[in-house]
Amino acid sequence: MTLHRQQTRMLIVLCGVSLLFTAFAMRLVQLQVWRHEELAQLAANNRERTIHRQGRRGKILDARGNLLANSQSVRIVAADPSMTASNALATAQQLAPLLALDVPTLTAKLSSPGRYVRLKQKVDEDTAAKIRALKIKGLVLEDQFVRTYPNGALASHVIGFVNHEQTGVQGIEAAMENYLQGRAGYETIERDRKGREIRVLREEVLAPRDGCDVVLTVDQVIQHIAEVELDKAMAEHRPQAGVIIVSRPKTGEILAMASRPTFDLNDPGRFPADARRNRCISDVAEPGSTFKIVVCSGALNDGLVRLEDRFDCHNGEFLYAGRVLHDAHPYGILPVEAILYKSSNIGAAVIGIKMGAPTLYRYIQAFGFGRKTGIALPGEVSGIAHPLAKWTALSITRIPMGHEIAATPLQMIMALNAIANGGRLMRPLIVKRVVSPEGEPLLNFEPRQVGQPITPRASALMTAALRKVVTPEGTAPKAAVEHYDVAGKTGTAQKIENGQYVRKYYSSFIGYLPAADPELSILVSLDNPVGGAYYGGTVSGPVFSEVARKVAQYLGLPAQQPQSDSQLAKL
Amino acid sequence: MRRNRKRESLRLGSVARSLLVCGCIAVAGLTYVYQKNQIYRLGEEVKKHEATLLALDKRNAMLAAQLAQFKSPAYLEARCQQYHLGLAAPRDTQVIRLPEPGAEWDMKVPPMAATPVPAKKPAPKKVVARR
Repeated sequence: MTLHRQQTRMLIVLCGVSLLFTAFAMRLVQLQVWRHEELAQLAANNRERTIHRQGRRGKILDARGNLLANSQSVRIVAADPSMTASNALATAQQLAPLLALDVPTLTAKLSSPGRYVRLKQKVDEDTAAKIRALKIKGLVLEDQFVRTYPNGALASHVIGFVNHEQTGVQGIEAAMENYLQGRAGYETIERDRKGREIRVLREEVLAPRDGCDVVLTVDQVIQHIAEVELDKAMAEHRPQAGVIIVSRPKTGEILAMASRPTFDLNDPGRFPADARRNRCISDVAEPGSTFKIVVCSGALNDGLVRLEDRFDCHNGEFLYAGRVLHDAHPYGILPVEAILYKSSNIGAAVIGIKMGAPTLYRYIQAFGFGRKTGIALPGEVSGIAHPLAKWTALSITRIPMGHEIAATPLQMIMALNAIANGGRLMRPLIVKRVVSPEGEPLLNFEPRQVGQPITPRASALMTAALRKVVTPEGTAPKAAVEHYDVAGKTGTAQKIENGQYVRKYYSSFIGYLPAADPELSILVSLDNPVGGAYYGGTVSGPVFSEVARKVAQYLGLPAQQPQSDSQLAKL
Repeated sequence: MRRNRKRESLRLGSVARSLLVCGCIAVAGLTYVYQKNQIYRLGEEVKKHEATLLALDKRNAMLAAQLAQFKSPAYLEARCQQYHLGLAAPRDTQVIRLPEPGAEWDMKVPPMAATPVPAKKPAPKKVVARR
C-alpha cells in the first residue's frame, strides 16, 4: 500500500515536473520560434541605433578664395521635462546666463508637459561645452547646421540664401544647389548597458559627404568698392533703387554686382521681398540713350555710316509719323561721332531710319536683347524686344534712342562689353569653378563667346566715338578717370507709370577702361534720383568715375597716356 | 606486466605533449581574449579621436567664418576708423606715376650703363690772398 502510494506520488511529481518542463519548452518555442522576429527586433532596438548624419553644405568663395558663405555646426538645446520638471528652477538658473534667456521662461519650458521641448536653437559649440559640463540630467544637445555669411550684406543678391531646410532659395545658393548640397549618410551602432556606443560593432552603411565648394568670379574687394560707392550715391541722390555691375569685357566675368535696396544674408526674413530682388537681372527698364550704342555700332558695322558722316538733327524738333521727337538740347548738323557723344535722340533716330527696321532688329537680336544672357543666377528675365511685326511707324525713331525696348542692366553691360571686346559678345560668367570637398577642381567654367554682332573695326570706331563722351564736349565729363582713357555712354530714360511717361528718370552710365585695351567695364544705374539732377552724366557719371578709379587702383591697371584717335583707329 | 605497460604510457613525453596542446589552446584562447580586448580598446580610441576630429572640424569652420569676417573690407575699414590708424587708400595726388620707358625712350636716351660718368674734377682751392 505504502509502495503504491509512493509510486503514485512519484508519478504525480513526475507528471508535474514534466508538465512544467513542457510548459517551459512551449514558452521557449513560443519565444524562440513563433515570436522570434518580433523579439529579435525588440532586442535589436534596445541595443542598436541608426544615426543619420547630414553632410556639410559646400562653401561659396570669391575669385581670390575669400569665404563668402559657410556652414557651421551648432546645437539645439532641448530638454525632457519629465526629467527636468522636479528641479526646473535650479536648472533654469544654471542655464539662463548661458542661453541668454530669462529664468521664468526657462522654468516654464523645463516643467512643461510632454517629453520634448526645445530651449534654444543655434547654440555655438563653446556654449554647448559649458552646458555639457553642468551634467544636467534630461538635457539633450542636438546637432544642427546653420549657414553663415561672414560679410553680412556684401554681394547678398549674388550669393543668395538658404531656407530652414538648408536648401538654396536665391542667388548662387539656389543656382548651384546640386553642387553645394551635402549628401546625408547614416550608420548603425550598438550601445552598451550605459548607452555608449561600442565602436567595434559599428556598421557604417553610408558615410555622409560634404557638398562641393563654388568659386565665383566676384572679387570681394571690388564688390565692396561698388557697394560703398552705390551707398554714397543712394545717400546723395536718394533714388528708389540703384545698381552697379563691374565686369571684365574680354571674358564676360562679373567682378561685382551690387543692388540697392539690399538685405543682410544672415537674417533675410527681416527684409521685404523688394529688397531681396536682384535688380541687375530681374528688373527691366527702357535703357534710354545707352541703347544708342546698338544702332550706331550696327550702322558703322554695315558701312551705312562713317563716324565723320553728318546728319541733320533738325534743331531739336523732328516730326516723324505725326509725332515730334525732341532733343534735350537743339542741334543742327552733327557727325555720327557727335550724335553719340552729345547723345542726340534725333540723330540716333535718323541713323535708325537709314538702317531700316529689319537691320536694326537684327542688331538688337545680335547684341542679345530680348533673351536671357544665360548667367548662372536664378530669376533672370529676358527683357522686352518686340518682334518686327509689332513695331509701329514710330518704333524706328524711338527704339534707336532706347525707348519701346526694355533691357536688364546685365544685358546692357554685356552689349557694351561686345563693343569693348572687338565685337565679341560673351556669356556672363559668375561661377568660376566647382571644387570637390577634397579640393579637387570638378568643373571649370571657361569664358564663352555667344556671338559676334560687329566686326573689330566697327568696335574700334565705336570706342573712338565713345571716348569723347567723357570729354568736356560730351555728356559725361564727370565720368572721366584721371590717368585712364575711358569710353562710355550716358543714359537718361523717362519712366513709365500707368502707361504714361512721367517726370521720373533712370539715370545711367556705362563705360569701359582703358579704352584701347579694356580690362574693366562698369554700369551704374539709379532709378529716379531726386534733388534736381537726373542726367546720367551728372548723377551716374561721377559714381562710375569713382568706382573705376578705385577698382583700377586695386587691380593695378597701369596708368596710361591718352591715345589719339588715329592710334585707336589702328587698333 | 600490464601494470608496467600502463606506467609506461603515462610517461613524460605524452604528458608534455598533452600539456603543450593544452598550453597552445590556452595561449590561443588568451590571445583571442587579449586581441578582443585590444580591438575594443582601439575601437574606443578611434571613437575618441573621431569625436576630437569632429570637434576640431566644427571649430575650424567656426574660425574660418570668423577669419573671413575679420578679413572683410568693411570690417577692416571700420577697425581702421575705430583705432584712428590713419590708414586709407592713397589719393591720386599722393601717387606719382612713372611712364614705363618704351622703344622711343630707348632711342632717345642711351642706357645708363653705356654712359660714362664723367669723373668729378676736384674743385679748385680757393686761394685767399693774405694781406
